[in-house]
Amino acid sequence: MHRKVSLLVMVAFLAALAVINHGCSRSSGQDSDGGDDSLSFDPNDPKLKERLGEDDGYALAIMYGADIHGSLETCG
Amino acid sequence: MGGLARRVSYIKAFKNRSNMEVPALFVDAGNLFTDDRFSASQLPAEVMTKNKWVVKGYGDFHHDAANISYVDLPYMGELLKKDGFDKRVEEYPFIERLVSANIHPVDDQHRDPVPYVIREVTLKRGAPGQKLRIGVVGFSEAKPAGPNAKETVYAGFRIDDPFEAARKILPELKQKADIIVALAYMDIAGSQRLATENPEIDTIIGARQTSNMDEVQHFNRATITYAYNQTKYLGELRVYVKGDKSAENQINRYIALDSVIPDDPSAVEVVTAAHTEFTNEQNTSAQAAAAPAKPNPLLVGGDSPYAGVEACASCHQEQHKVWENSRHAHAMATLEKKNQQFDNECVKCHSVGFQKGGFQSLYTTPQFANVQCEECHGPGGRHANNPGKGYGFMATPVGCMQCHKQPNDPDFDFAVYWPKIKH
Repeated sequence: MHRKVSLLVMVAFLAALAVINHGCSRSSGQDSDGGDDSLSFDPNDPKLKERLGEDDGYALAIMYGADIHGSLETCG
Repeated sequence: MGGLARRVSYIKAFKNRSNMEVPALFVDAGNLFTDDRFSASQLPAEVMTKNKWVVKGYGDFHHDAANISYVDLPYMGELLKKDGFDKRVEEYPFIERLVSANIHPVDDQHRDPVPYVIREVTLKRGAPGQKLRIGVVGFSEAKPAGPNAKETVYAGFRIDDPFEAARKILPELKQKADIIVALAYMDIAGSQRLATENPEIDTIIGARQTSNMDEVQHFNRATITYAYNQTKYLGELRVYVKGDKSAENQINRYIALDSVIPDDPSAVEVVTAAHTEFTNEQNTSAQAAAAPAKPNPLLVGGDSPYAGVEACASCHQEQHKVWENSRHAHAMATLEKKNQQFDNECVKCHSVGFQKGGFQSLYTTPQFANVQCEECHGPGGRHANNPGKGYGFMATPVGCMQCHKQPNDPDFDFAVYWPKIKH
């Protein structure tokens, strides 16, 4: 009986964990607009980390650009 | 520097670094399409192809909005045609994220662009769990037509006064959005006026082929920042949000999109496909232009004002040796490696006398490929026919800056580069 209760508690815990994780990924997916956020490179590369700067608690980021004038890539 | 593939990677890395807690939008402040060789209400086929891939690329990689500037209007005329619009949007949904509050078609064959889009995100910081609605609205100045003149009708569209349009649309948008971002294709004075007259605006992201990375300005409630020409540096505006969902502070950074930022493989696929289709179109049109029926009038009967490097080398052997070992002599190969040798936006700085009677294309005028002597010294056809003193003056470094200007070559330093080609 004791073993069954332990098993039930474990199953309940794992189920709760799954729900929480699922909730997180759905929530985080909302800002990615359904896009593929998988990385094809090492995010811990020191030069890249330096370029990313410190995470100082901002809530939102707006990336912007302009004047690509028909080119998805720059010359040369 | 720059390019879609690095931009996509950086944004992914940015999201990853913040454990996917920070929504990251991408917006474009305008001039995303080319109007190269627009005439008689039409864009050449290869230019249409280039622009089509921008719509596809922006859509595939989830850009949130782009501002329609006057430069974009020739291609917008194609996208906003009522005939076939729904099918076009089905194929390229990004069309509906192209915004302008002050541009309208002059006929009834085209749809009005949407004035703004609203993006809703769930915050995890600042006001955790709350939905934040970000309204993105677009404005453009009229097309410059001289030192003090503007064209208010261009390519079948009317460009209304952006300040009047802002006064009309912003109260409406404020009812629907928590934060308002205005994309403004205009000079800094115009953006300052927009901010001063419209307290609803939180952020103005301007553009006008600028390459200054100045500090942000604050007018009224708004933060004003400008996008870097060709997006060689990506703008990153960090927004700190209070519990009431208002923007407490905004910090701006410019990210150099150089080789430190890896290319995103899926974006590279799109860029490569775009190149392939564009190059095929260019080949077709260049071959047609090379046909005897359409000779270049500037070259008929040897009328080109340019002589070409071989003519120069026949007398100036020492100087020719220096040039041969310089990167100028291999400028076209640099483009060929990236399949850009038919892209007019690129070849103009990798050839001699482009569209001035010299280089036209690799099919018609291969003898004028690469940055040859006459690109710096001026057309030398007459000098070659009648050699003598008085030819060859070079305006340095001003002449160099025609191509080595800040947006193209941000690291250019005349004192370092000049000794490499001095002869």
